[in-house]
Amino acid sequence: MAQATAPVPLHDAGPEDHPVAHGHADTNTGTTNTKLAMWIFLSSECIFFGAFISTYLLYRGRSPKTTPQPKDVYNIPFTSVTSFILLMSSLTMVLALAAIQRGDHRRFRIWIVATALFGVTFIGGQIYEFTEFYREGLALKTSVFGSSFFVLTGLHGLHVTVGIIWLLTLWGLSMQHRLGVKDAERVEIAGLYWHFVDIVWIVIFTVIYLIP
Amino acid sequence: MSDETNIAVADDPALPGTPEQRAAEAAHGMSAIPSSALPMLPGEVRPHPSPFQYVMIAVILCVITGLEVGMYYLTDSIPRALYVAILLSMALTKFVTVVSWYMHLRSDRPIFRRLFIVGGCGALTLYMAVLATLHVFE
Repeated sequence: MAQATAPVPLHDAGPEDHPVAHGHADTNTGTTNTKLAMWIFLSSECIFFGAFISTYLLYRGRSPKTTPQPKDVYNIPFTSVTSFILLMSSLTMVLALAAIQRGDHRRFRIWIVATALFGVTFIGGQIYEFTEFYREGLALKTSVFGSSFFVLTGLHGLHVTVGIIWLLTLWGLSMQHRLGVKDAERVEIAGLYWHFVDIVWIVIFTVIYLIP
Repeated sequence: MSDETNIAVADDPALPGTPEQRAAEAAHGMSAIPSSALPMLPGEVRPHPSPFQYVMIAVILCVITGLEVGMYYLTDSIPRALYVAILLSMALTKFVTVVSWYMHLRSDRPIFRRLFIVGGCGALTLYMAVLATLHVFE
């Protein structure tokens, strides 16, 4: 069987770098089980988030008029900025993957930390938003709108938080020279999770915030 | 990176790309070395996009997001059905763009695409049926 030519990393090559990957794993599916498992997990997450988005839509407009309504509390310019930040984090994530594939560990660390920082900023914005809503009288138990909104966006925030921890773990491994070009797939799988969190927010931002 | 390092990287015959490409990559970063010269990841059928393409996709996503936010301020100016249709179309465009380019479904093995479509369309069908049954769209 012909051996694929495996280019060598570009910058800062260390003991963690080996000739890598050839696009075909020795499994029945031709891909690794971890990547396949991640896609199955993300597929199931569609059903998970779909349940909470549907619940929000089901209860929309059914809260007592004496409680805060969506149009009273939503701050669209602010949420637009946090959405933009999460979108930019997807860009830095793919740039981190491109960097590790090139063996450019310095740029990989920069992009992966930038992605995590964007995520932290997004979570900070969400905490600020929740606090503002609470001050305006909307809490988890105030109405069905409050319950469905906080549970949906809170669970999304929890996913973002898990993603941040994952990214920082990759950064830590890279700093210890335990993440090389051969581990690019690990970065790609973390990236898949991160992008999924981003696309869920794309749906939430449109369906929950922008459509009155 | 210093000039000395750039020269060293450019002269290393073990690295991918031509010496000129390596020098440009070391000096400017980004996509001087084509993605096709890089090792493919497991499950990858075609080379992933280059960093420049990633940036271009991000620009497109930002423009669509800007249009979405702009649309929000036209809520009272256009019919609700049209407003909702336009917003959902833009969200769908962003969704498909991220999944295709950033999650590499357009360049990876079809099995990933099939798995995700089954989950996504399954969830959509299920919950649309539930919401229709509960008269949410009336």
